Amino acid sequence: MSHRLGPMQTLPSPMRRFEESDIVDYCIVGVGSAGGVLVQRLARAGFRVVALEAGHFWDTEKDWVSDEKGSHELYWNDLRITGGTHPLALGANNSGKGVGGGSVHWAAFVPRFHPSDFRVYSEDGVGANWPISYWDLKPYYELLEREIPVAGPAWFPWGDPHGHPYGPHPLGGVGDVLVRGCSNLGIRSVAGGPVAILSASHGDRPHCIYRGFCLQGCKVGAKASTLITHVPDAISHGAEIRAYAMASRISLRDDGRVNGVVYFDREGKERFQRARAVIVSGYAIETPRLLLNSACPGHCNGLANSSGTLGKYLMAQAGNVVAGRFDELIRLYKAPPAHALSEEFYETDPGRDFARGFAVQTVGPLPVAFAKQMVAAMGAWGWGMRQVMMDYNHWATLGVLGEILPWEDNRVELAEEKDQHGLPVAKVMFNLHDNDKKLIEFGKNKVMEIMAAAGATQVVQESRFAHLVGASRMGSDPSTSVVDKFGRTHDIPNLFVCDGSILPTQGSANPGLTIQALAARTADYLIKQGETIFYSNRRDLNEPGIRYDLSPPYTRFKGNPRIA
Amino acid sequence: MTRKSFPFRASGGELKDLKQPGYYEGYSSMAQKKNWDEATQKTVTDRVEKVSGIRFFSEKEAALFVAVIDRVMPQDDRAEGRTIPILPALDERLDKNSLNGFRYEDMPPDQEAYRLAAKAIEEMAQERFGESFPLLTVHRQELILKSLHDGKPDPDNAVWQKMPVHRFWAMLMEDCVTAYYSHPWAWDEIGFGGPAYPRGYMRLENGLPEPWEKDEQRYEWNAPVDSVSQPDEEGAPPEHGSLHGHGGSH
Repeated sequence: MSHRLGPMQTLPSPMRRFEESDIVDYCIVGVGSAGGVLVQRLARAGFRVVALEAGHFWDTEKDWVSDEKGSHELYWNDLRITGGTHPLALGANNSGKGVGGGSVHWAAFVPRFHPSDFRVYSEDGVGANWPISYWDLKPYYELLEREIPVAGPAWFPWGDPHGHPYGPHPLGGVGDVLVRGCSNLGIRSVAGGPVAILSASHGDRPHCIYRGFCLQGCKVGAKASTLITHVPDAISHGAEIRAYAMASRISLRDDGRVNGVVYFDREGKERFQRARAVIVSGYAIETPRLLLNSACPGHCNGLANSSGTLGKYLMAQAGNVVAGRFDELIRLYKAPPAHALSEEFYETDPGRDFARGFAVQTVGPLPVAFAKQMVAAMGAWGWGMRQVMMDYNHWATLGVLGEILPWEDNRVELAEEKDQHGLPVAKVMFNLHDNDKKLIEFGKNKVMEIMAAAGATQVVQESRFAHLVGASRMGSDPSTSVVDKFGRTHDIPNLFVCDGSILPTQGSANPGLTIQALAARTADYLIKQGETIFYSNRRDLNEPGIRYDLSPPYTRFKGNPRIA
Repeated sequence: MTRKSFPFRASGGELKDLKQPGYYEGYSSMAQKKNWDEATQKTVTDRVEKVSGIRFFSEKEAALFVAVIDRVMPQDDRAEGRTIPILPALDERLDKNSLNGFRYEDMPPDQEAYRLAAKAIEEMAQERFGESFPLLTVHRQELILKSLHDGKPDPDNAVWQKMPVHRFWAMLMEDCVTAYYSHPWAWDEIGFGGPAYPRGYMRLENGLPEPWEKDEQRYEWNAPVDSVSQPDEEGAPPEHGSLHGHGGSH
């Protein structure tokens, strides 16, 4: 039987397999949002690439189900320890496992970051500046919006205003609540996107059927994940995706350059993949964990950690969920959870007593997730739980997506506990600071106000966090950051990090699109540098220039529509 | 032995022996099974038809948690043969040590947490009422559980000195609601459309039913008179931040 990626697409076969003795050009650790794009670009450019993935290589027809509980395997369920004053829930909340990584279970909101996000320290005196500007990344935003391709309004008014290649999705009940509530308060909103979900069919991917199971992996193939958007093209161009390969250590040569990755295979046997350069794309927890676990003489605090900032400046966004009960029926399970939003409160407002801001977005919890929210938001249990859940179809849910600043004490470190391979697991410490608390309080109250303005008769909220970025941040100064603006570690010339962990700040935008755009840019840099990456220690910081000829099939549109 | 206590209709009459509680009479998600993809059919059908035996809990612990679960996720209104298995799902998770991806630094491992809680709840019952928890009246069982829900164990117990009660409560509720609301009979109860691939939904706005869904037929009802598990005016418990890892929202 062929390996299915949605109802129409199959995985190219056979896939190239490298031998244990082969020295490949690039070994990429982790095939998620960043790893998927990187492996596709590098393979197309002719490099020999192996990408290691700790989890499954999904066959979407066999392995995925339209069912909440049955989708447990999509998440990184292995043990991690979480602590601090505001410990983060991990697992299903923010961590994917398997080819496609988090892009398999993301809700797929894909707003761009705003130009101000790249200059937070300059503009607000808090957080950090990025070593690049919005304008450096803009062509990559546009390129990835076409490769995904993104559906959304023709006019997105915030940040750098722009349009989207595919038309917006029809409005569901929850989106209607957001638009109504915002409109009644004079707040601008948009609906139908921007989401990485097809509103019309595209190549061998069908359009959305509005079944609401986005977070459980899109069997339809309408929601983009790198599993279906970039990995097939990578394989067609000679890359190997090696699933069930859990990286345990990056190997360092005497000359201070890395020469491969040690990993455990499916049987738990230790193996070694030789490579001329290594890119770690394990996301904000596993990336620092792998680098910390790779400590060796000369790098006793972990690889690429001469700054001491590895694992630090971890960020999650405030993700408070506001639930409102309406007299009329909503049926919040229909339509994609992600389909309407407002970024009216995104930027710093001198009239408020905190820096930066938040977005307001639709969310669409299915029954199990909604019941858990009722446990947290209302203290529901017993007959009270049965009663509130019988009203499931009367509730709508909106989310705050608030910017929490990068703080040194929010960090990933190694715990005492070991995993099934004997590797120390990650310990994640998270604390809210004064600015964060004020922002969350304001954002939560504003979204509750919007919910009430939409006509909800009862409004409750649950405090939670969404997404994970930072912990291997990029910067110009090697003493305060882990990687340079192309993801190259300051310490080791042929070791790169490319994933959400390199973000210096996070804005109030879902990070997926930005992660993919950064990956495409890093790929262009590596391709431009060519062989010099493998033997030279010279660090070229010139922009590579964007390549428009490396996109997957069917995605070479002429441009991104823009009205006005 | 299972103790029962029945909710009642506001217009009079106990709610008991119901094949399908809720406001969507005649709606059956399983009746739509032939429209689901094969993998989903198997997952959901197995959940209904294959209920695993108890492996992790001892007989005594199992008896205790049957009584606890009967109160935190009560099903006294449901007919015999139409109750949703919760303990087997919890036991299976613990037996396989299937984690949700993290553990709070102030919590013991999940398996140990449940064993400790079993001991504590039984001791609380003995100390406060001089009887084993499963033998207590429904009301007394609820009083003990409500004290855990409120984060003020009454009577206090040494276990809660080392294991934060609010974290255990959140984990217990998460396990119970996951088992209950992942079952198609619960989908029928709350009017959830259930699996929808490859067919999808077509009526997205105004809460309109698909042709195979039902409109709501609402009636008012109340928890049993001796129950303390309805939300009080204060509503939410003390703020603890995110207690759980539900399937993402953004």
